[in-house]
Amino acid sequence: MSQKPYWPRERVITPGLRLPCTRYLRIAFVEILGPVTMQLSPRLLLLSLAMGTALSSSPALAEMTGSLNLNGATGLVDMPSGEAQKDATFSFSMGVIGPITRTTLSFQASERLSASFRFQTWRDWDSVIPGDAKVTDRSLDLRYQVLKEGKLVPAVTIGLQDFTGKGTFASEYVAATKTFGDRLKVTAGLGWGRMGSYGDIGSPFGNRPAVDPSGTPNADQWFRGPAAPFGGVEYKVNDNWTLKAEYSSDAYLLEDDTRGLLDRKSPFNFGLEYQRGQNTRFGIYSLYGSEIGISFHVILDPKSRVTGGVVGAAPVPVKARPSRTSDPDAYDGGWVTQADAGSILRKNLAKRLAADGIAIENLAYSADTVQIRIRNSRIDAGAQAIGRTARALSQVMPASVEVFEIVPVVNGIGASKITIRRSDLETLEYTADNATLLRDRVTVTDAGPAPAWSLGDDGLYPKFAWSLKPVARLTEPLKGDVGLRLSARYDIAPGLVLTGAIYKQIANNRDDSAASTSALPHVRSDGARYNEFGDPALEKLTLAWYARPGENLYSRVTVGYLERMHAGISGEVLWKPVDSQLALGAELNYTKQRDTDGGLGFGEYDYDIVTGYLSAYYDFGNGYLGQLDVGRYLAGDVGATISVDRVFANGWSVGAFATVTDAGPSQYGEGGFDKGVRFTIPFNWALGTETRRGFGMTLRPKGGDGGARVEVDDRLYDSIRDYHTDGLDPDWGRVWR
Amino acid sequence: MVAAIGSMAKGSVAKFKGKASGPQPATAASPTPADLRAQLEKSGQPVLLVAAESLGRTSFMGIVDGKSDVLTWESPEGASFSQRDGILIQTRGLGADLMSAQAPSAAQLRSGGSYQRLYYFLGPDDQGTRRTYECTAKVVGTETVDVLAKSYQTTHVTETCQRPLGSLSNDYWFEGPMIRQSRQWVSSQVGYVQFQRVID
Repeated sequence: MSQKPYWPRERVITPGLRLPCTRYLRIAFVEILGPVTMQLSPRLLLLSLAMGTALSSSPALAEMTGSLNLNGATGLVDMPSGEAQKDATFSFSMGVIGPITRTTLSFQASERLSASFRFQTWRDWDSVIPGDAKVTDRSLDLRYQVLKEGKLVPAVTIGLQDFTGKGTFASEYVAATKTFGDRLKVTAGLGWGRMGSYGDIGSPFGNRPAVDPSGTPNADQWFRGPAAPFGGVEYKVNDNWTLKAEYSSDAYLLEDDTRGLLDRKSPFNFGLEYQRGQNTRFGIYSLYGSEIGISFHVILDPKSRVTGGVVGAAPVPVKARPSRTSDPDAYDGGWVTQADAGSILRKNLAKRLAADGIAIENLAYSADTVQIRIRNSRIDAGAQAIGRTARALSQVMPASVEVFEIVPVVNGIGASKITIRRSDLETLEYTADNATLLRDRVTVTDAGPAPAWSLGDDGLYPKFAWSLKPVARLTEPLKGDVGLRLSARYDIAPGLVLTGAIYKQIANNRDDSAASTSALPHVRSDGARYNEFGDPALEKLTLAWYARPGENLYSRVTVGYLERMHAGISGEVLWKPVDSQLALGAELNYTKQRDTDGGLGFGEYDYDIVTGYLSAYYDFGNGYLGQLDVGRYLAGDVGATISVDRVFANGWSVGAFATVTDAGPSQYGEGGFDKGVRFTIPFNWALGTETRRGFGMTLRPKGGDGGARVEVDDRLYDSIRDYHTDGLDPDWGRVWR
Repeated sequence: MVAAIGSMAKGSVAKFKGKASGPQPATAASPTPADLRAQLEKSGQPVLLVAAESLGRTSFMGIVDGKSDVLTWESPEGASFSQRDGILIQTRGLGADLMSAQAPSAAQLRSGGSYQRLYYFLGPDDQGTRRTYECTAKVVGTETVDVLAKSYQTTHVTETCQRPLGSLSNDYWFEGPMIRQSRQWVSSQVGYVQFQRVID
């Protein structure tokens, strides 16, 4: 075999430009059109395609979707209806009924099932009986549409309102709604509990037993006791204005008879609502013959970005290689022996990928294959980050390289390996349905270890970064504190990272509640004390080590001040093949409870415990994820947590969880068992820009000590799922974006 | 969070008014279309004038990529339009992009006839979606088209496309085998975009 001559450097470096003429043209246009634009008609404005804001919402749908009531549920004024919201609708509602305020988050979890989390405040509570002037209560609702509206049949929904609470807002109902024409809807229903308290027709299913205030589902009460009919009409005047009138079966016994904070004179309620665009709705009401009510709703569709699509500059084209017959020399692999080939290729790739917020962790190549390990810090869709990387490789790598292996790296470990043939990229770039065709030709496999002969990046490790940001911590709607959080991160080596955060309050309007009376160790229920005394507080200071102990295996060890209440060591192992719907995990923690002053000490509680869980994760498809954890919780209680989340390709997720342990209701204190809802709203959805950041929240009816887990950053499953097939495939089309 | 989303929803577009068929002669100080053409010709590169109707924006674009019969034109701000023989098959950087398309050839349009057309988009939650249309191309007649102070004799071809949920139509003005001017549909949110080949 004859020795090939070394290639001159120019053959190795692919030019860092597109077609040479382009650069010239761009400059020329800016020069020519810049001044011209301002003088010519506005039509000749340069096409500044920050079209995100330009592409505003399309006109409101003509069809009548269910509107929300004062309780944030689909319905009339104060009563529910048989309708549902459009699938996946996420809404935030605030309803004011004289001295009562209801703040509700609702989610249409599937076409038929919806759930709400409500925060309710009663003012003037001491009008008749001395005591606190204000009380609050949190409640959870579930609704299921058993029948969809047809030509003859109405929509029918069965609902449970406040089904786990101490019963202050508990109701069960069946409601039916029929649409007549395209403007009128008529609703009739039968309610129990509060909704059975006025004008009842007797107790068809027996008496309603007293409520068990433990926070467990009050199933004994459901559909028991007096049942009362309710009903109403909704008339849509036009796309913006709606009139509502209803007959309410809620006697407001608690508020009127017992507490005297309002005077219920009539069962009739009337309202006028204004829909502004697709996202906001306002209402004003005459309630119960004595009160004025107002409502405000923010209605969001996680499936559709506010801006229509992710905005961002067009990708660079795939670079066409010369044909093998016309330029066989271009396909010669001799360049691999060139001493500086690696650093030149790496530099050219880094320059191109930096524009997309992608950093190169490692680069390894042979004459026909390149493996690039990337850290994607900005693009929200994994598929798009992979597409952009592949395009950059096509521009930079010599023609002999046919196989592109792209390994997304999260926390220093490879999440998966996407293998793309360069010729497929070239062939399919302008082909119809190229996303499907490319996916058929691409393989997603375990990332495997980084090749031994790869080039790391001196710039990435070690690296220090910090930030100082304003933070709001809510304990209830519009209550909490605001402050500043100083965060720092030191990437020591791939997979080894030191992080810390300090929080300093600036102002608060919290009502620091009374001391916990929980019979369990106060592993969570002293949260108010931590808020009050921990100012400033070291929120966390941890050293974390992420690794790949084997194929399909991921591991994490985190040591230090894990969260504001507990410190210690947490270890986790996860088994997750890249194309598996099932993942299994195990976690083991040893933690001590921290002092409430936010310092380094452990003297206050003298409490330490070993906790651990076996977890199973399952992707049911269509974005529904389930998780089951079985193990020992922070207070020493043993039990299981079940959770279901609906995740969207754009990063939205909404879920609910419940934990049942062997700690009996008597030991739980005020909390009952641990349950709640959680959601994440990605900024890319609202802003239309590429960002991986978002806003998330977990809401619990009560924060108890039973079923509590130590909080640790970056648990494995969520970190890597984005780059496995179940994370990549839903929005795979963005590979060509 | 709420406030931010509310204000986002507010952003609306001033609708594009009238037909964009190039720059309008304005004040005495501004260059005439002829001057502009002269300036563009100096660059010696092909130029496409692109007007997005719903966005009320117009831009001159240059070629960033040419592969066999596909030319990709890009604006300085990073929006691109890929055309196969002048027929739009992809856009990028618009937000609601046309991801790919199965479109007729220029010869098919000129000779008329019926065929199926497929448009591929990213729909709700970025899932791939497809629209299938049954289309018919018809020659309307001979028309004179003005493109930036220059007149061309063209053959006007209209393509009308139907599907159960709606219809659309694309218009092409052929100068010989080449599309001198066209008005083509991109996506439901972007709507129609007009193209004029200013410099060959």
